[in-house]
Amino acid sequence: MTAAETKAETKAESKAEAAEVLISVRGVVKTYERGGETLRVLDGLDLDVKKGAFEALMGPSGSGKSTLLNLIAGLDRPTAGTITVGGKRIDELGESALAKWRGDTIGFVFQSFNLLPVLTALENVTLPLLLTRVAAKEREARATTALRIVGLEDRLHHYPRQLSGGQEQRVAIARAIVNDPALIVADEPTGDLDRKSAEDVLSLLERLNKQLGKTIVMVTHDPAAAERASIVRRLDKGQLQ
Amino acid sequence: MTLLGLAARNVLRNKVRATLTVLGVAISVLTFVLLRTVVGAWTAAADFAVKDRVVTRHKVTFVMTLPRRYVDDVRNAPHIRAATWANWFGGKDPKHESEFFATLAGDSKTFFTVYDDMKVDKETLERFQQDPQGAIVGDVLAKKMGWKAGDKVLLASSIYAKEGDWEFRIAGTYTATQKSVDRSTFVFHWTYLNDGVSIPGLKDQVGWIVSRVDDPSQAATIGVTLDKLFDDKEVQTLSQDERSFNSSFLASVSAILTAFDIISVVILAIMALLLGNTIAMGVRERTTEYGVLKAIGFRNGHIVLFIVGESTFVGLLGGLVGVLASYPIVERGLGRFLEENMGAFFPFFRINPLAALFAFVLALMLGATAAAIPALTASRLRPIEALRRVA
Ligand SMILES: Nc1ncnc2c1ncn2[C@@H]1O[C@H](COP(=O)(O)OP(=O)(O)OP(=O)(O)O)[C@@H](O)[C@H]1O
Ligand SMILES: [Mg+2]
Repeated sequence: MTAAETKAETKAESKAEAAEVLISVRGVVKTYERGGETLRVLDGLDLDVKKGAFEALMGPSGSGKSTLLNLIAGLDRPTAGTITVGGKRIDELGESALAKWRGDTIGFVFQSFNLLPVLTALENVTLPLLLTRVAAKEREARATTALRIVGLEDRLHHYPRQLSGGQEQRVAIARAIVNDPALIVADEPTGDLDRKSAEDVLSLLERLNKQLGKTIVMVTHDPAAAERASIVRRLDKGQLQ
Repeated sequence: MTLLGLAARNVLRNKVRATLTVLGVAISVLTFVLLRTVVGAWTAAADFAVKDRVVTRHKVTFVMTLPRRYVDDVRNAPHIRAATWANWFGGKDPKHESEFFATLAGDSKTFFTVYDDMKVDKETLERFQQDPQGAIVGDVLAKKMGWKAGDKVLLASSIYAKEGDWEFRIAGTYTATQKSVDRSTFVFHWTYLNDGVSIPGLKDQVGWIVSRVDDPSQAATIGVTLDKLFDDKEVQTLSQDERSFNSSFLASVSAILTAFDIISVVILAIMALLLGNTIAMGVRERTTEYGVLKAIGFRNGHIVLFIVGESTFVGLLGGLVGVLASYPIVERGLGRFLEENMGAFFPFFRINPLAALFAFVLALMLGATAAAIPALTASRLRPIEALRRVA
């Protein structure tokens, strides 16, 4: 596929789904209590993320980027305001319903990869499927496919300690997409990687967005990383600039 | 790979720690089984008691003796089919001072009739009865000491001291009809003892009288009637059916049994603490991983299952090793040693399969409960907190 084709495709897609909003954040406030003081990290924040978008979230350290991402991914609850993902009010879900929702809807990519060291690449990727009704054979087939997408079909039976940082992060991405989630959230996915590995991971995310139509929200400090995204937002003083 | 498979992987993650913990559990289980076996062996004697036998002894203690003529009074009492008597001889082979075995001076005519669970063939019995210095010994003892029929045996007595040793001739061996019977007892003629004692106070005295009654269900009442016979005599008696007699011996060691019971519980408690600590340590190290699992959709229950599964797996391995190790140790080593050397106390020292099963199940259950606190703590942790732990 040439660069020109890719671009053309992206345009077509973004036009077709222009109206469809996947994430809708309204008037979200998040405060933390710390030593008797109330820290207002997010202060009445609004945000819409369209389906098929690849958004980068930037901002100074401590500005609340991770906090916002965790709220969108259903890892945390807002102090006030509403968060709707795919038409579902996730701020109203109970603990266990929220966990199930995350498993069905979100693919997580963390800064420090967070693979389970006792499991091989293939087993790590299979993990989310253990929560589904998918049969064992099919689980393995899907995990293998996911690893092929990230270019690690020759590392199926390697343990995390036998992989490079870039490869580990690609396994983590395979784990994030194996369930075919509606949304991939990535918190500084290249923060622990060298330049070359970072490029590989970003290209992979770009490809997932453009070829597979995955919606991605990525927090990053790296301008080069943000460049890959279709939209870059800046967070400062509890608001999106 | 399954959820429980992941739990098992976590156990094997730190091999040294896992091995030590499994060994710790195994040793606890082994010790528990051994203690239960000791308690079981002691109680077995009471459980296997012959029900139609009544033992009459000195009212104060079974160390003190009764006049020989009491035997005739017992024989003439109602409901008594047969009666015999015996004395503790306290014999030892001077050449093998460390070998302990029971030595009894019994009435050669009636001893083996009343104690019919000690089986002697006809020729041996006749040979024994015709030889005033004859002795019949348990087959286990004979084998251990290398005694054969016709052998001359010299014994010294701690109770009936005399110049030089007592000299006996082995007439043959007896075998046991049930497993509670000590197969290491040395039995010889009471008359030989009685003729040989020089101290007047020891003459014509018997250690205890054993009778067989016609109605086992009435054994206790018959015992009371027997004791009434001697109420006004110079020595009062205490008659008990054999089960109670054995129990009264058990009562004298009951403090030890209670101690053993307490120790076995303490051992299990230590095991649970050991396991709980190891699991808690592992769980703390893996907090981030549980955070990741929760983030990607695993529920609190899954986390509990992982951790409890891990601990149960350790319990399973330890329990298996402990129980498997206890069999050769008891059946091949300790059990045989105790039966041969301390048969009077441990006529039957074998593992009760139920106790082994119990120990195994207990190891599993303790494994599960030991993990309860770390499992609940980890499962209740909010995923972002768990994820933040390392960052
Ligand atoms: N659990 C918490 N309790 C108290 N304060 C918190 C908690 N989590 C975050 N904060 C505070 O909220 C603010 C925003 O944190 P957040 O992690 O979202 O920042 P960030 O933009 O992701 O920063 P960085 O770029 O360094 O990752 C920080 O000042 C942080 O100290
Ligand atoms: Mg952050």
